[in-house]
Amino acid sequence: MMTDIRIDVAVIGAGPAGVAAGIGAREAGAEHVVVFERDWDLGGILQQCIHPGFGLHTFKEELTGPEYMHRWIERAHGAGVTFRTNTMVFRMEEDGSFWTMNPDEGIQHVHAGAVVLGMGCRERPLGAIRVPGSRPAGIYTAGTAQRFVNMEGYMPGNRVVVLGSGDIGLIMARRMMWEGASVEGVFEIMSWPGGLRRNIAQCLDDYDIPFHLDHTVTQVHGKDRLEGVTVAKVDANKKPILGTERFVACDTLLLAVGLIPENELSRMAGVQIHPVTGGPVVNQCLQTTRENVFAAGNVVIVYDLVDWVSAEGYKAGKNAALFALDGLPKATRRFDVRGGENVRLFSPQWLSDQEDATIFLRVTKPIEQRCRVTADHGLFSKTLRYARPGEMNEVHIKAEQLRMLPPDVREIIVDVEEE
Amino acid sequence: MGAVEVIQRLFDVIIIGAGIVGAALARELSAYAMRVAVLDKAAEIPSGASRANSAMIHAGYDDKPRTQKARFCPSGNRRFHELQGSLDFTLRECGSYVCAFEEDEIRHLDVLLDQGRRNGVPGMEIISGDTLRDREPHASREIRAALWAPSGAIVNNFEAVVAFMDNAQQNGVELFLETQATGLLCSEEKQEVFGVETTKGRFLAPVVINAAGVHAGEISRMAGEESVRIRPTRGEYFITDKTVGHLVKGFFFACPSTKGKGITVASTAEHNLLIGPTSTPQTDLEDTSTTMKGLEEVLDGARKLVPDIPPGAAITSFAGVRANTLSGDFNIAVLRKPRGFVNVAGIKSPGFTSAPAIALHVVEMLREELSDRVIMTPNPRFVPERTHIPRFAELSMEEREALVRRDPRFAQIVCRCETVTEAQVVEAIRRGARTVAAVKIWTRAGAGRCQGGFCGPRVADILARELGIPLEEVTRHGGHSRLLVGRTKEYWFRGNE
Amino acid sequence: MTERETRKFICVSCPVGCMLTVHMEEGRIVKVEGNACMRGEAYAEAEVRNPTRVFASTVKVSGGLLPVVPVRSRSAVPKEKLFDIAREVARVVVEAPVKIGQVVLVDVCGTGVDIVASRSLEAEEKRAG
Repeated sequence: MMTDIRIDVAVIGAGPAGVAAGIGAREAGAEHVVVFERDWDLGGILQQCIHPGFGLHTFKEELTGPEYMHRWIERAHGAGVTFRTNTMVFRMEEDGSFWTMNPDEGIQHVHAGAVVLGMGCRERPLGAIRVPGSRPAGIYTAGTAQRFVNMEGYMPGNRVVVLGSGDIGLIMARRMMWEGASVEGVFEIMSWPGGLRRNIAQCLDDYDIPFHLDHTVTQVHGKDRLEGVTVAKVDANKKPILGTERFVACDTLLLAVGLIPENELSRMAGVQIHPVTGGPVVNQCLQTTRENVFAAGNVVIVYDLVDWVSAEGYKAGKNAALFALDGLPKATRRFDVRGGENVRLFSPQWLSDQEDATIFLRVTKPIEQRCRVTADHGLFSKTLRYARPGEMNEVHIKAEQLRMLPPDVREIIVDVEEE
Repeated sequence: MGAVEVIQRLFDVIIIGAGIVGAALARELSAYAMRVAVLDKAAEIPSGASRANSAMIHAGYDDKPRTQKARFCPSGNRRFHELQGSLDFTLRECGSYVCAFEEDEIRHLDVLLDQGRRNGVPGMEIISGDTLRDREPHASREIRAALWAPSGAIVNNFEAVVAFMDNAQQNGVELFLETQATGLLCSEEKQEVFGVETTKGRFLAPVVINAAGVHAGEISRMAGEESVRIRPTRGEYFITDKTVGHLVKGFFFACPSTKGKGITVASTAEHNLLIGPTSTPQTDLEDTSTTMKGLEEVLDGARKLVPDIPPGAAITSFAGVRANTLSGDFNIAVLRKPRGFVNVAGIKSPGFTSAPAIALHVVEMLREELSDRVIMTPNPRFVPERTHIPRFAELSMEEREALVRRDPRFAQIVCRCETVTEAQVVEAIRRGARTVAAVKIWTRAGAGRCQGGFCGPRVADILARELGIPLEEVTRHGGHSRLLVGRTKEYWFRGNE
Repeated sequence: MTERETRKFICVSCPVGCMLTVHMEEGRIVKVEGNACMRGEAYAEAEVRNPTRVFASTVKVSGGLLPVVPVRSRSAVPKEKLFDIAREVARVVVEAPVKIGQVVLVDVCGTGVDIVASRSLEAEEKRAG
């Protein structure tokens, strides 16, 4: 028979957001906190991110993905978080309850006082960017290739082209070099890199891998196995420029063309999804439009640093526990956050006057000089040395600042402008 | 050393091509006590035009009365509806609309209505643009009238081909994949056919049926029959995310032009939007690449019918090569010479719809015209039903629970976009899937929005394990389409010191 | 005449990735510009004298839940030796269970730096499903 399970706080996903959420929930006083993980292993995608570069803010040293998660998982065990591995949450109801499946226990219906969504994100596939041509073997998202190489010990190919310059693509370019593959080039359709600048330096420049901005792949060739791609320079409208096409022979095309929040379950739960972030609309407590459903990490908005994912996960777990125990303080006023000048996406989308808030945002276009990130009504202002789409910026606002705003203020606009 | 083993196999009937025509025919022939072989050069079925098409079960108003298309399309439509339950493939009764924007198009709807009535299409009517929008709120405001045909349906074309062939195989038909016909074995002067030379050896039979789709012209020429002239025409399509699948309920056509039925928009049996095709004549029979221009044309055409389709909702694109012919009609005939050779060629749109009716017709042709070469006695063990692999995603919680209790591998989700479990993948392999593409055809693993990014490696692992082969030997779609080129670290042992 | 040179590096010490301008005289650094913190100066110094990077890869495991386990150099190693290290690491096979921090290769390529496992990995039978 199908069993019903009742717990205080349920967390979906044991990646960096979910593990921290479990800790946050326990430390805020929730008794029975369970993190559900579909894999046999804890840690999520960071288990395959074996390069160093994680946790400088949290641990003051740069760890590899597995090392970073090891510390958090130890901490979670110490805090009394329960983990259920090999357990897939495959359906969510609008009341926030959900269904899990596990080979030993079968199907279970989980009812929790509050739920934290921590499913992370997924990579955009080739179809989403409409690269024409044939569909041979040898086309992988960078993350899929990373799993093959780092977790399973297999080589997806010997001669690689990377489309897009997201960090995983850059990291995989170097990784493939170290396994003896050649990397023919990285092609980025935008005029600026998608990933961190240090990854351009240490993953491409160190190995003389050509990096082409304003370029894209216009055709895929090969029937059985990939034989090459046509690349071309693009104009200001990102349309390929006639006459700039050239053929690049390769047996592997890795895609690093963006990440999108994983929101199948969020949709089932009936939470409002933001059209630009692709994740749930949340407030600074990481509460979605369903008051018992919280969300944190890349499921909300794709972060560039895992430290922020963990910090937000912890916060979501804490608030979920408080909600499940006594309820969160009710907002007496609410403010919509809006993106103004040069702000492409941001989270949270609304603020309650009961909590301090951090707004994470990404700019639309890079500013390579001194600039200023501001929240209007004089709530926040900070000078930046530069602002780049690949790197998030933060806006900090105190609850008492919000409470002191004139009564007609209902929205807060954040801008990033040159000084 | 050096002796080449010639594999010879003996059958009563050989069908070349395991598309919808070959599969439907195999299934009908499996009702008779005879040995039937189906040969296909691909590593999974369907692979040709039956794989990449509009997945439409046409009502049958498009075709001029007294043509073979007009004869087989409405009856094929009925046959699909009849067999849906017993062969367990997904067919969604959605009805179809031909949309008219201009005065001359509105007049053309009358022509189609009249044609459809003469072809025996049930329940058609012409409705106003407003009536259309009452039923289909996302239809363009520019549409002034539409022809409604309630018998139009959308099928999971993968499942349909697999269902016919699976049932045929259960009844004793043998399917040979990666087996390409390279020549016909005929008597002197090509008086009689007695088999097929293939890349996997010789297959002998007194009756050979050419159901080779775009390759039907080549096969026919092997028999010395030049009348089958295939004009390969490429059609490009898009599939969108399921989040926009609700935009239409019915199957939308623009008013037909000389180029074909134009761009269509439909919600697939699994609630993705399928939009396309283009219509580009080409010389290559195999080139199924998509083009930037083609995909733009598809999107433009689709948004003309349904303006709310977001340009960014595509999750994948594909192209199929249709076996157009010069005459425009099907070419179904028992040849006089070589005796025993049957052409079922030029089966282009509405070929998929027509196939089950064509199959019954070909069985009759064999009985009437080739009784000297093949004896048609009923197969005492013929079972007309089969069931598909459980579609876990569509089951109730109780049904899922029962499956998990029976086999814990139903609790291991392999493809999270389409909720496909390990047990389903294992069963697909048991029923003949040998490639990642075949597993997708059988189970939809990899057909969702991440397009195999997550499940690809997992499906490959299961294939390797179940087939007992190294992971490096798993292919995407047979041939040289290996997923992986070797192990990590190997480079440093290859003399790269 | 004093030999003057200006070199530019992107500092890889942290995710900020400062663009460093390094002014040199007679092969010695006289000034570093563009760094947001002290690590930038140290990085510039190393980049001029002896560029180093952390190496991260996998090694084969026998009898483990996974066929490979991730490893890293405990600290940065000379950049010019990265491929030599890759070759050495390719030869290593460790036996499960593996413990995080466990040394799998001592003093790799004479750098004085050990290669250590960067995750724990249990032996095979414990994996479910």
